[in-house]
Amino acid sequence: MIQGTKNYIRFLWRCGRIAFVGDWRYYAWMGCLSIFILFGLNAYAKQLVHGLYVTGMSDQVSWGVYIANFTFIVGVAAAAAMLVIPVYIYDNKELHDLVIFGELLAVAAILMCLAFVTVDLGRPDRFWHLIPGIGKFNFPGSMLSWDVIVLNGYLLLNVHICGYLLYCRYQGRTPSKWFYIPFVFLAIGWAVSIHTVTAFLYVGLGGRPFWNSSIVGPRFLASAFTAGPSIIILALQVIRKVTDYRISDKALLTLRNIVQVSMLINVFLLFNEVFKEFYTRTSHVASSSYLFFGLHGYHALVPWIWTAIAFNLISMFILVLPMSKSLKYLNIACALAIVGIWIEKGMGLVIPGFIPSPLGEMVEYMPTLNETLVCLGIWAFGLLAYTLFLRMSIPILQGRISKSNEGAADDALFTKGPNPGNSIPDSSHAQTAHS
Amino acid sequence: MNGKINLVLGAIAIAFLALAALFMSNVWGRTRPLMLIPLVDAKFIDPSPSRVSIAEFIRKGGDASDYDCDVCHEKNKPIKLKFDADDNIILPTEHTNIFLQHGSHKRNNNCYNCHDEMNLSMFQTRDGKPLKVTDPDVPRLCGSCHGPTYRDWEAGVHGRTSGFWDRQLGDYQRLGCPSCHNPHSPKFPSRAPAPGPHALHPVLHAPDKTETEGSN
Amino acid sequence: MLENQKCKPGGCGGGGNSGMNRRNFLRTSGVLATGIAALAAALSPLRELTDQGSWEQFFQKHYKELSKDDMDKVLARITREVEAQYQIRPHVKDYKPMDGVEFVYCLNLTRCIGCRKCVHACVAENNQSRDPEIQYIRVLKMPHGSFDMEKGDHNYAPESVPEKGFFYMPVQCQHCKNPPCVKVCPTKATWQEPDGITVVDYDWCIGCRYCEAACPYFARRFNWTTPKIPKERLNPNMSYLGNRPRKQGVMEKCHFCIQRTRAGKYPACLEVCPAGARKFGNILDPESEVSYILKNKRVFIQLKEEVGTSPRFFYYFDV
Repeated sequence: MIQGTKNYIRFLWRCGRIAFVGDWRYYAWMGCLSIFILFGLNAYAKQLVHGLYVTGMSDQVSWGVYIANFTFIVGVAAAAAMLVIPVYIYDNKELHDLVIFGELLAVAAILMCLAFVTVDLGRPDRFWHLIPGIGKFNFPGSMLSWDVIVLNGYLLLNVHICGYLLYCRYQGRTPSKWFYIPFVFLAIGWAVSIHTVTAFLYVGLGGRPFWNSSIVGPRFLASAFTAGPSIIILALQVIRKVTDYRISDKALLTLRNIVQVSMLINVFLLFNEVFKEFYTRTSHVASSSYLFFGLHGYHALVPWIWTAIAFNLISMFILVLPMSKSLKYLNIACALAIVGIWIEKGMGLVIPGFIPSPLGEMVEYMPTLNETLVCLGIWAFGLLAYTLFLRMSIPILQGRISKSNEGAADDALFTKGPNPGNSIPDSSHAQTAHS
Repeated sequence: MNGKINLVLGAIAIAFLALAALFMSNVWGRTRPLMLIPLVDAKFIDPSPSRVSIAEFIRKGGDASDYDCDVCHEKNKPIKLKFDADDNIILPTEHTNIFLQHGSHKRNNNCYNCHDEMNLSMFQTRDGKPLKVTDPDVPRLCGSCHGPTYRDWEAGVHGRTSGFWDRQLGDYQRLGCPSCHNPHSPKFPSRAPAPGPHALHPVLHAPDKTETEGSN
Repeated sequence: MLENQKCKPGGCGGGGNSGMNRRNFLRTSGVLATGIAALAAALSPLRELTDQGSWEQFFQKHYKELSKDDMDKVLARITREVEAQYQIRPHVKDYKPMDGVEFVYCLNLTRCIGCRKCVHACVAENNQSRDPEIQYIRVLKMPHGSFDMEKGDHNYAPESVPEKGFFYMPVQCQHCKNPPCVKVCPTKATWQEPDGITVVDYDWCIGCRYCEAACPYFARRFNWTTPKIPKERLNPNMSYLGNRPRKQGVMEKCHFCIQRTRAGKYPACLEVCPAGARKFGNILDPESEVSYILKNKRVFIQLKEEVGTSPRFFYYFDV
C-alpha cells in the first residue's frame, strides 16, 4: 500500500517534471499562454472587486460571452465521445491509439467550462451553497443542478479513464478491463447527456420563445459533433508535427466522415429553424428577426450570423466534395466549421434570446475589454492544460517514460528520437482481454 | 538549440516583468464612472392626494372665510343662470376662477344640479334635499349620476384606499371624490411624469430611425 | 516538446549532466520567479476588496434552516452592518406570513396615467440602488388596442401624461403561482412563501442569474456592482426578506413590500398612486377589494398567460 502510493507519487513527480522541459517552441507557446492567463487573472480580479458591472451585461441581456463560451466548450467536451464510439463500438483500428487524446481534450474542455461558469457568478465565494448535503441543491428541479452533476461526473470519468490507462502504461502492465471499459461506455452516454442537459438549460425557459423549442437539443449535439471532431482533427495534426507519435491520414479521414455527417445534419436543422421562424411569423419571431435581419433599427448581430452561416455552408460543401480528402482543404473546412459554430452558439443563440427583452425592450450587448480578457485567459488556460496533458501523456504512451527507466536521463523526457513504440498495448482494445 | 531556448526563456521573463509593471500601474480597466443619476424629486414619492377639497380643508381646520357663500348670496333668493347663444353657461364675473367643464356636450350645464339655489352654501341631492359641504355622504351626490363608479368607490375599488388592508390591524383611509376631482372640471389632471429608467450601460448604436415600426 | 535529433547526447537540455541540470534548474526557477511576480501583480486589484461580508455571513445557513436564535443573531449582524455603513440605526425584523392570507394584486388600466410615482415610491421604500439604478417596476406606454409588448415604450418622457391614444401598464414581479424563477434556481435561494410572495434570500443567492433568464416579465434585478443608497433616503424599517440593503452580486425583485404587507399595510406603490389604479389584498377574504374586483369586473388580463406561470397580477379595465 505504502509502496503503491510511493510509486504513484513518483509517477506524478515525473509527469510534473516533464511539464517544464521542452524545446524553444514549447517554451514560447507556454510563455504566450501564460501571458494571456495573467491578463485574464488581472481582469477577473478587477471583476471581483467592482462586480459584473465591468462586463457588458445588463438586466436585459444577463448572460454574455462567458456563458456563450461555456455552451460552445461543453459541446467540444461532449465530442470526445465521437472518438470513443468508432473505437469501442465499431472496432475502428485507426483511431484506436488516438482516443485518449480526445478524452484528454474533454478533461481540458470541462475545466474551461467550470472556469467560465465560475467567472460568471456574482458571488463565487458562495459556491458551497451548491454542494448537495451542505448547501441546498435544487435537484431535480433546476437544470443547472443537473448540469453541475453531469459536468463534474464527466470530468471524473475522463480523469479516471485517462489516468488509469496512462498509469498502467507507465507501469508496463496491462490495464484491467473492469477498471475502464465500463467507464468508457458510460462516458459515451454521459457525453451525450452533458450537452443535452446544457441544451435543456435554455429549452426549459417558457418565457423565452427563441429558446423554448425542441430543436435546440438536437442542434446542440449536431453542432458539437461537428466542431469537436474538427478541433481534434486540427489538434492531431499539431501533435503529428511536434512529436513523432504515429497518426495516420486514415484516422484523420475517419474523423472527416464524422464531421461530414454532423455538419450535414447541423445545416439541415438550421433550415428547419429558419423555416419555422419565418414562414408563420408569429410574435415569437422577434428574436430571430433581430438576429437575421435586425429589429426596430437594431442590427448589431446581423453581420455575425450571416458570416457564421456562410462559413458553415462553405465548410459543408468542402466536406462533401472529394477535395476535402486532401488535408489542406480538410483543415480549411474544419477551421471554418469551428469558427462558424462558435459564432452560432454564442452570438447566434445566447444573445438573441435576450433581445428583445420579455417586455419588448431592445437593449443590445457588447463585451467589454475586461470581459474579453477574462475569456482569452480561460481559453489560454484550456490550451495550457491540454498542452500539459499531451506533454505528459505522449512520452508515457511511447514508453519513453516508464517505471523501468525511473532515474534515467532527461533524454527520456523528449518526444522525438528513437521511438520505442507508439501505442497502448493491445489489451486496451475492447476485444482482447490480455496480451 | 540551447541558445534559442535561453533566448525564449529570457524573452518570457522580460515579458512577465513588463506585465507586472503594467498590472501594478493599473493603466486600463478603471471602472467606468457611474452615470451620476440625479436623485428623483421628492414630489414623486409624495403620497398626498392630487388636491385638497373644501370639505377636507374645513375638516382640517383651515380658514374658510374666503369660502363663505352667505357673504354674497342671500338664502331663498335663487340667482338666474345666464346662457349664451350656443347654450354655454356664462359664469358671473365674481366666479371666473371657476372653469366649468363637467360633462361633455353641455350635459351638466347647470350649477343647480349640485348647488342648492335656495342656499348657495349647501349642495342638494338629486331629489332636492340640502346637503352640507362637509357631509361625508357628498360622494353619493356624485354617485347619483356616476352610479357604477360610486359603487366601486364604496367597495374601495375606485380611487385610492390607503392604510391597512388588514382592517383588524389598523385603519384605512378612503378619499372623497373632490380630493382627486375638481367638481367643476373633474377630469383627472394630467401631470409631468417622473423620469424614465436609466440603462446600465451607454447605448452602443442608436437605432436606425428609418426602420422603426411602432415606438420603442 | 521536441528535441532535435542532431543534438549531441549530453550536450542539450538533458543528458544527466549535473552541471547542465543545475543550470536548467536555475534557468527555470528564474523564469518562474518572474512569473510569480507577474501573478502577484495581476492579482493586485484584489487589495481593494473590502466590503465582502464577514465569516459569520459566509457560513450563514439558508433562511429556512435558521432557528429563532440564529435569526436574531443574523438580524443583529445586519443592524450592525447598516449602522456602520449609513450611520442610521435600522429596525430589522423577520416578518412571518399570516395564516389564511394569499395576496393578489389588481391593476386598473383605465386609471393608470403613467406618472411613474409607483416606480420611485418603491425605490424609496425598498432601499434600492440609485446608481446604478435598480427599479422593480417598469411602466410601459402601450398604444390603444394592443397588448403586444414589442409596441411598448419604456422611455416615454412627454410634457404631461396621460397621452391620448395610449394606455399605461406597470409591470413588476407577478408572484406567479407556478414561478419559473423558483424552478430554475440551483440553490433554492428564491422560493414562494405560503402567502404567495416569491422571495429571495440575499445571503444565499450565488448570482448565477438563471432566474433572470427564466422570468417572462423582466421582474428580477441583479446587483451588477455595489448598490448606492443615499443616506438621507434610507428607509430604516427593514425586513430580512425584503428591503434591507443588498450587496454586490445578488438578485433582488419586488416582494410586495413584505415589511409592510405582512404587518397589514398596503405596499408603497399603492400608497403613492394618485389615480388609485392599484389594488392589493387577500384573495381568501371575500370582503377584500381584490375579491370585489375579481367578482365584478369582466375582463382580466394575466400577462403571458400562455406561458403557464399563473401570475397573481390581474390587469383589468373598468368597463
